[in-house]
Amino acid sequence: MIGPWIAAFLTLAIFSYLYKDNPFYKVAEHLFVGISTGYWTSMFFWTQIQPNLFGRLWPATEYNSDLLWYKFYNLLGVFSSVFPDGGINKGHHMELLYLLPFALGIMMLLSVSSKLSWMARWGIAYTVGMAAGLRAYGFLNSNVLGQIKGSAFQIFNSDLPFFALASESIFNNFIILIGTITGLMYFYFSREHTGNFGKLSKLGIYFLMISFGASFGFAVMGRISLLIGRFVDLITYSGSAHNHATLWLLLAMILLLGYSAFTDKNNTSKDEPTIEK
Amino acid sequence: MDKISDYILKAGTIDRRWIFLIIGLAVLLPLFFPLGLPIRATNATQKVYDAVEALEENSKVLVSFEYGPSTKPEIHPMAIGLLRHLFTNGHKVFVTCLWPDGQFMADEALDEVAKEEFDLTYGEDYVILGFRPGNEAVVKGMVSNIRKLYTTDARGTLVDNIPLMKNINKVADFDFIFSASAGYPGTVEWVQYASDPTGVPLSTGTTSIMVNDIMPMVNSGQVKGILAGMPGAAEYEALIGTPGIGTSGMDAQSIAHLVIVLFIIFGNITYFIETQRSKKY
Repeated sequence: MIGPWIAAFLTLAIFSYLYKDNPFYKVAEHLFVGISTGYWTSMFFWTQIQPNLFGRLWPATEYNSDLLWYKFYNLLGVFSSVFPDGGINKGHHMELLYLLPFALGIMMLLSVSSKLSWMARWGIAYTVGMAAGLRAYGFLNSNVLGQIKGSAFQIFNSDLPFFALASESIFNNFIILIGTITGLMYFYFSREHTGNFGKLSKLGIYFLMISFGASFGFAVMGRISLLIGRFVDLITYSGSAHNHATLWLLLAMILLLGYSAFTDKNNTSKDEPTIEK
Repeated sequence: MDKISDYILKAGTIDRRWIFLIIGLAVLLPLFFPLGLPIRATNATQKVYDAVEALEENSKVLVSFEYGPSTKPEIHPMAIGLLRHLFTNGHKVFVTCLWPDGQFMADEALDEVAKEEFDLTYGEDYVILGFRPGNEAVVKGMVSNIRKLYTTDARGTLVDNIPLMKNINKVADFDFIFSASAGYPGTVEWVQYASDPTGVPLSTGTTSIMVNDIMPMVNSGQVKGILAGMPGAAEYEALIGTPGIGTSGMDAQSIAHLVIVLFIIFGNITYFIETQRSKKY
């Protein structure tokens, strides 16, 4: 029952920034940051660290209370929700190699200590190296080779019409060809952009500008969609099923912001120096 | 003529909060008084529909939820539309999430469609594998061995005990992938690490702002169509014949766009008047 009231309040509090910065907006902003951080931390811990890291270090399938390794685990059992009795049953076998990423992770957290912060570089170096290697392959395969392959089409395809507004056509194939070549020419910096080369690279700029315009249009469309989403929720919460939450909260906010603006105005006029004739 | 120019220039200096109010009203009023403007599917949306239609009955479809509450109005309608289409055609749905809040969205969408509308059984007709952190490393891990990455589903059930997961070991075991994506990690990562290397066909639904980044991949055939923001969702709803949230927002979307275009034209007129005057004096 209280959920819609909170949702309506937070939405209106964020919207109130359009009028001016105010305490309602600040409350909503701080709540958002705090709750997001808490939620992400909790999600990461319970979906990855607990099942996939601890679950591999102390799996239930190989639990033996006589082993020193599991005696240490039983000491950790004071945090019973993280380290339940009898090992962690998440379908893993013991893989002690995972102590390595565990150590790297702890080293990354040491960046908060001025003396030990150097250790964080090891973890960061591993992450950067792994990500760079992983992404290099993906980009080369899909964004470079895939796109080259995609733009190597038959321009004069007899199956295509000469002109079509949105679908494939010979005319559109020409546009793609000219746009690709002139766009690439604009990014060729080993030669001065003068003469015919300059004219062609300028044509490339126009293609790029059209692309930026389309991006801007899509960005506007996206923001309007989000606004529609919030309005739809506010309309829903303004119904009798939710005790007209939106309307009451809107009224309260307008009154409080109005009162604040009124008192601010009075204070400002009192502070203003009077001009003596 | 000068008087008209003066009025236009004066109007150009109004407080920006009036513009916010006008845009707000342009969005709000059509939600109260729908106009019923026609919705026509674009080629990109039609390709997604055709790709789903081309699947044989009982196909295994991997749907990845990569969005959260902040982009829900754009992506959620298309996720619901797609799930309706998949379940109507009798396919099995496997859900993964590259974003932590994607799991909420997946739960909500499947509760609405699979449980309430189609009365399907969890673990037999659909399964939510849930969120795993690691971005593209998760996609890469799923390509090589899903079971190493997902030993349990989102509800904590061991994957080995879920009937639907039988014979599912890697991405290549699926017939189709759909990425409901609002950014990184999302569609691009699925193309780079899953669809391109394995050849499993992939379609996507994205936020409007991502469309320009993904469209080259649609044109090159790497992605089988794209649902572009809320209009994409509305078009898909029109194709499957079930109007939903996407359709109801389209009037507001169109009117708001019209108002913004008028503002842009107005802004350009004031710019030209100002430059003409500065040349004159």
